[in-house]
Amino acid sequence: MTARRRTTALIGDDNTVVVGGRTVTWRTLHKLPQLPSPAAVLVDNGADALAAVRHHAVHGTELLVATTSRVDLSMREELGESGFAVVIAQGDEQSVTPAKLKRVEESGRVWLLTSGSTGRPTRIGHTLESLTTVTSQQQPRTWLLPYSPGTYAWWQVVTISLTQADQGLVVIEPSELETWPLIAAEHGVTAASGTPTFWRQTIYRDTEALAKVPLEQITLGGEPVDQTILDRLREILPQARISWIYASSEVGASIVVHDGKAGFPRAWLDRDPDPDSERPILSVDKDELIITSPHHGAGLDGPVRTGDRVEFVDDRVLITGRLDSDEINVGGSKVSAGLVRNVLMGHPAVAWARVFPRKAPLVGRMVAAEVVTSPDLGPITDADLVQWCSNRLPDYGVPRRIKFLDQIPQKETLKSDV
Amino acid sequence: MAELTREQIRDLMGAVMKAQGKTLPADDSADLREIGFRSLDFSELALRVEDEIGDELNFDAPGLRQIAKVGDVLDFIEQLQSA
Repeated sequence: MTARRRTTALIGDDNTVVVGGRTVTWRTLHKLPQLPSPAAVLVDNGADALAAVRHHAVHGTELLVATTSRVDLSMREELGESGFAVVIAQGDEQSVTPAKLKRVEESGRVWLLTSGSTGRPTRIGHTLESLTTVTSQQQPRTWLLPYSPGTYAWWQVVTISLTQADQGLVVIEPSELETWPLIAAEHGVTAASGTPTFWRQTIYRDTEALAKVPLEQITLGGEPVDQTILDRLREILPQARISWIYASSEVGASIVVHDGKAGFPRAWLDRDPDPDSERPILSVDKDELIITSPHHGAGLDGPVRTGDRVEFVDDRVLITGRLDSDEINVGGSKVSAGLVRNVLMGHPAVAWARVFPRKAPLVGRMVAAEVVTSPDLGPITDADLVQWCSNRLPDYGVPRRIKFLDQIPQKETLKSDV
Repeated sequence: MAELTREQIRDLMGAVMKAQGKTLPADDSADLREIGFRSLDFSELALRVEDEIGDELNFDAPGLRQIAKVGDVLDFIEQLQSA
């Protein structure tokens, strides 16, 4: 079997790649020894991940790339039983566990692991072509790459650099996340994509350093995007275009919003298909976002139930969180954890918040929250935040128990499970 | 688990009321409806007690009964702790 392969993949071969403190190009990246096909390449650094991608672009071998930490031993067993040789790559050296199942490779196939927010990660089939959703000619840019190798968001940035000229990359390893603005300023990064948690952490740690990065394009995705974070980024980086993207391994990059507002226009729902564009069809069924996307993974054509919950606010459709966890039932009154979170994060002193249900007598569940406050805005108490929420939410939506954390939690995927 | 005294429970109840901009009267016979102590407030008090003692309260144990006065709340929480 052969998956359709993009022939223009290596247009970006001479683009600059800054990785591990070295400045190279895609062409001069170190080469991995010939990979088996299919291969699951497990890496612990960005350079090896990019080398695996270039190997795939050149040879078309069937590839799954992920970080070593995301693929535990039982998942490695499963991969072996599904025909993948498991390759642990470390520079010029690699250890290979042969596949347990012999099967014909799918030439050109790229596999992604879902983020696992709905449970155990599953494999979604793509190709370089289906992952390359930015196909229009881009102005010259240098992109920050903070994402974990192998995630959909990581592939989005990687494919821009690999398939278009003048799209450099600056790879940020996990150990560099706290100081990425300094690295980005040094290498002239002009475009950066990250989760809202990633941006909040950056603002929380060092707003001044962020303001010195010559960003022209800021992108948010991977988590619900609230108005507060968009406004804050606009204040810090007024020269940049700020976009948010709804994307997933399953439906690809499906919603792109550039107007600086949270949510997307209600008018985008249920539009007729446009044969001249790759516009996905968006609809809502029982509060759930449904997407029919041209950028979908293999076998996911047609309407896909995203599992994401939406709320209508004026003329916007807000994506508030996962359907199975966003709604909190407080004594029969229902409230969206996402909307409560937005209210909390609208407080000037709140840098990050997580809202969740807590088992309680009489009402069954109560709204509770964890917050991180901004260090430069003075002390703030739970009573202050309860008062803030009471002025903006119905009684049952006000978080009654608020715990203060010392720092913003962040997972390898740059998300914080809000 | 470390049980709270009736006075400590009363302090927590006062904190719940204060967060709502209200004051807990000193009189245990004060009517909960009159002082504006509602089911959400009672639930919050239970969570505060749980946080203090580091354990969940078992609300099934004593069975349901009428809680109309401040003293009823204090009695009930005290009883829950020893259930």
